[in-house]
Amino acid sequence: MEAELLNLSDEEYVVQRAKRALKIDPVAAKAWMITAKTLYPNNFAVQFEAYKIEKDAGHLKEAAKYFSDLLGKFQQEPEFWQEIENVTAALRTEHDATDSEKHFLCEMFRHISFDVQHQLLLFTADHCEDAMEHCRLLLLLLQKFPTTISTHGPRLVDTLLSAEKHSHASNQPINPYRKLLVCDLLPLLATENTSVELSSKLLFKLLHKSTEFYLCSLDMSKSNIQDPNISVDDPWRKLFGIIELTGRHLGWESYLTTFGNNWTKESYWQKILTFCQTHKALTVEDHVNTKQLLYCLTVFFLHCLHDYNLSLSPEPCPGQIQTSFILVEGFSDVNLPNPASEPKSKRRKGESDNQTPFITVDKTENKNIIGNFQMAVNCWDLFHSSDHLQREFGKLNNHIKLDPWLLGFLIDYAIYKGRYDDALARLQQITDPHLQLAKNIRHASILYLRKNYTSSFEPLLLVIQSLPITNRGTLSTQLNAGGNQRHLHFLPITQMTVLQYCTKLLIRCIKDNMLKQPNNYNELSIGNMLVLLQLDWPQEEDLLPLIIDQIRQRGTFSYLLFQAYIINVDILEELTYLWTEQGGQITLDILPHLGQRRIGTRGADKGVKEEIKHTIKRQIARSNEPLDQLVVKFISQERGHILQSLM
Amino acid sequence: MSQLSGPEIKHSLRKLDYPLCAKEAIIKIGQLICNRVPSLKHMDLALDLMAELIFCEVDRRGNKRHSPLTSLDELQLLDILYDYLNNTSNETSRNAVFLSLFSGTTAMMRSAVLSKLVSVAVGIPSPTVLSSASVWMQQLGNTSHNSNQLAKALIKDYFVLSPNIVHKLNVLPHIAPQFTANFLTAIANMYFTDGKKEAFTFPSQNLLETITLWVNENSGLCIAAQQIQSSLPPGAIAMEATTPLAGLLRWCILAPIYNEDSDLYGKLHLGLLNSILEIPSTNPPRAISAAHLVQPVGIILRFLNDEQLKVKTTEQIVDKQKTLIENKLQLCLDRFAQAIQVALSINCVYGNMEDLFYQLQQLPQNRLLRIVIHTHKLNK
Repeated sequence: MEAELLNLSDEEYVVQRAKRALKIDPVAAKAWMITAKTLYPNNFAVQFEAYKIEKDAGHLKEAAKYFSDLLGKFQQEPEFWQEIENVTAALRTEHDATDSEKHFLCEMFRHISFDVQHQLLLFTADHCEDAMEHCRLLLLLLQKFPTTISTHGPRLVDTLLSAEKHSHASNQPINPYRKLLVCDLLPLLATENTSVELSSKLLFKLLHKSTEFYLCSLDMSKSNIQDPNISVDDPWRKLFGIIELTGRHLGWESYLTTFGNNWTKESYWQKILTFCQTHKALTVEDHVNTKQLLYCLTVFFLHCLHDYNLSLSPEPCPGQIQTSFILVEGFSDVNLPNPASEPKSKRRKGESDNQTPFITVDKTENKNIIGNFQMAVNCWDLFHSSDHLQREFGKLNNHIKLDPWLLGFLIDYAIYKGRYDDALARLQQITDPHLQLAKNIRHASILYLRKNYTSSFEPLLLVIQSLPITNRGTLSTQLNAGGNQRHLHFLPITQMTVLQYCTKLLIRCIKDNMLKQPNNYNELSIGNMLVLLQLDWPQEEDLLPLIIDQIRQRGTFSYLLFQAYIINVDILEELTYLWTEQGGQITLDILPHLGQRRIGTRGADKGVKEEIKHTIKRQIARSNEPLDQLVVKFISQERGHILQSLM
Repeated sequence: MSQLSGPEIKHSLRKLDYPLCAKEAIIKIGQLICNRVPSLKHMDLALDLMAELIFCEVDRRGNKRHSPLTSLDELQLLDILYDYLNNTSNETSRNAVFLSLFSGTTAMMRSAVLSKLVSVAVGIPSPTVLSSASVWMQQLGNTSHNSNQLAKALIKDYFVLSPNIVHKLNVLPHIAPQFTANFLTAIANMYFTDGKKEAFTFPSQNLLETITLWVNENSGLCIAAQQIQSSLPPGAIAMEATTPLAGLLRWCILAPIYNEDSDLYGKLHLGLLNSILEIPSTNPPRAISAAHLVQPVGIILRFLNDEQLKVKTTEQIVDKQKTLIENKLQLCLDRFAQAIQVALSINCVYGNMEDLFYQLQQLPQNRLLRIVIHTHKLNK
């Protein structure tokens, strides 16, 4: 053994003595190691050996000290470089460090002085060839040492921006660089008491980048792409945080950049209104305040819009199918009590009733749709209240590409404002096959409003052919509203409601078309209307007296589709009554094969009379047949007859 | 009262009984000494008051008294002195009074009171009183006979008479670091010292334990007394404190050959090496004197000489025993070389370096020692 030592060089001898002592006397081993370290301060092998001995012995404090010494002198040694990388790797996986070596390295890092920790991270980051890795390390540095944020924060922002620009992901708002910038770095810069110098131009750029990123991540979470690298918790809170950061740097009104825990949309909207009243933000002169309003309002608007879109497709109760809603023009009925009288009192003065349509939704639990929509509309109106702001918003929109986000809302907005051309033009842009049904429903509705009845029937037929049969739903009671005010309705996309809506639309098309005819009478139209009235009978019963009256005036009613489609007891009773002596003995031409024979006004032909009686009885017997199937069959199979009554 | 003349002051104080007169006298002494510019007359008066009214060494005519203080008187006096010093917050005044109470000429005479006073301050503990005691040790020399006497008394009180409260001393380095450092220096010089006059002695187990703990847990302790400038009365020259490093290293180096094979020496040795590493660099170096560091050389050489004599007289020393001695010697030299190496690497040794190397070269063969000498001769 001694001979073995004799052959060693001096350096090796001292290290060997330390190693040997380690097994029998750790205290003596340390004394040897200190000696070796001081004897050969420039010998990497000795210094590194000293570190490894302490590390293997599990001595945190000593290992940390030796590691620090090495870092100051031997950064270039590949063997030590590997160890540095082990440390930074361990730090990054700190939370799941089950590996005992990694755990040791993390603990050791904590025993290193702040200066050296800082130096270590900065050094590794600087020597990192992979840009992403470099940024991650710098970020780690900033997280561990908030005091370094002011010096290295802006630098890292620049690095990330240019890294993103030069990566192939540059045209995708969601990429790893952006994620690091937006989700990890900016919140650090936003930490209070951190002083960072950021130019206003850069701040706006960061705001653009963040908005774009969060909007895209929201889209992705909607389309159920569950990528853990992308998914973000509470993106709005984070985006608000970036508004806070920007506002703090640019000296914005603090009430516009405060999004505390009891923040509500309503109170924030009031603050925006206050801001508009107290600043000339809407004019060209006040550039600073315009910017402030523009950005706060944009983010707020997007938030409201997001809520609105979410509420249009609410999460279903467990076990149920998701039902979406679309905004359509509802129907008004002067004979019904005016429901608008109650909310009207709540409305602010100065808003004229004609411009504010009455909006309904089927279920009370979905009432929030209306509020969300109204808030988004408020924002949109404010954007367009001044040319200047509108132009600024246009520019911003070019940067952050909001158009795909806005499309759905702008259709609703056009419908809301009664700008049907605009709505039609925007509907044409929809190509998504999933949105065809909604598109066709509104297409039909708008064409009806523009009294284009035959054209309206085309999309209506498409709707009937593609009813959402998996989601049956129930008949609605809200499609008709009292009063003569405009009525808008959030229609649930279910088989029954959509069918009901189309039926009502078709009834009105036929009726309005009939009324504009010179003689105001068309047996086919009346018959078609009678068929359609049956679906949600007695919702439309007010129309029946009008029809009966017309028949009575004419004294005859001929409808060859009678046997096939009219089975409603009330309607049959009314018709039968007309046919009786008391009712005026109207001629009913409802038996197709008897077409040539005229039924005597005095009931001369007993056989025919009996046949009509039988027919009526047979129809009554069918009165329990499912009406939706009957109406669907009618609309799709009798389109020729229907078209005739629309021309 | 300050208008009163010396005789008048004495006169009025003499009317009081002991210990009341001592209590009033110490206050008066404080006023006399701590004047901005104390005159010689005032100083003489203060010294007279001490001798006559505090320590009762002389009577009113200045004749030596043969029956000084009774045990009860001494106890009351300790109480008075402790209270006075402990409540004097001005450091300079407190140190001035302390140094005149126990000056170079009177300390031996008053050592009984002094050691009891410091012992009380350690036990209570009183950082203020201990800080004055530390300044006192330093001004009179922490390796001086006076300091040695004080250290002996303290060791007797705490490590011999009441060993079960030794653990109370563990925190002493935090309460009074400078005092502890000076105390350590004094202790270091009491053991493993060249036995020309006295027999070679070794520290007791509990003392060694306490010191090892102190050094290992407070790497700055050994140089603590050098880190602070003593607050001294005007005109006094501050004395440099000797660190306990060289003395304690001597223990660790010599322990193997004297068969003191407690593990504690190894631990203490490591603690000392670590303490040396922590010494902030100064120019010129001042932490360890080369002359102190080299002290073990002579002892080792004498030891070897004695061993050789033994071999000659017994003639038949077993090989096994020979190896045993050689192993102990190598451990001793390894530690010595380590200490030299670490101290030199930090550049904290002052004094005659030529002599240091010359003496080291007289030692028996040891590879590390050879490496160390070689390295540092090269570096020069």
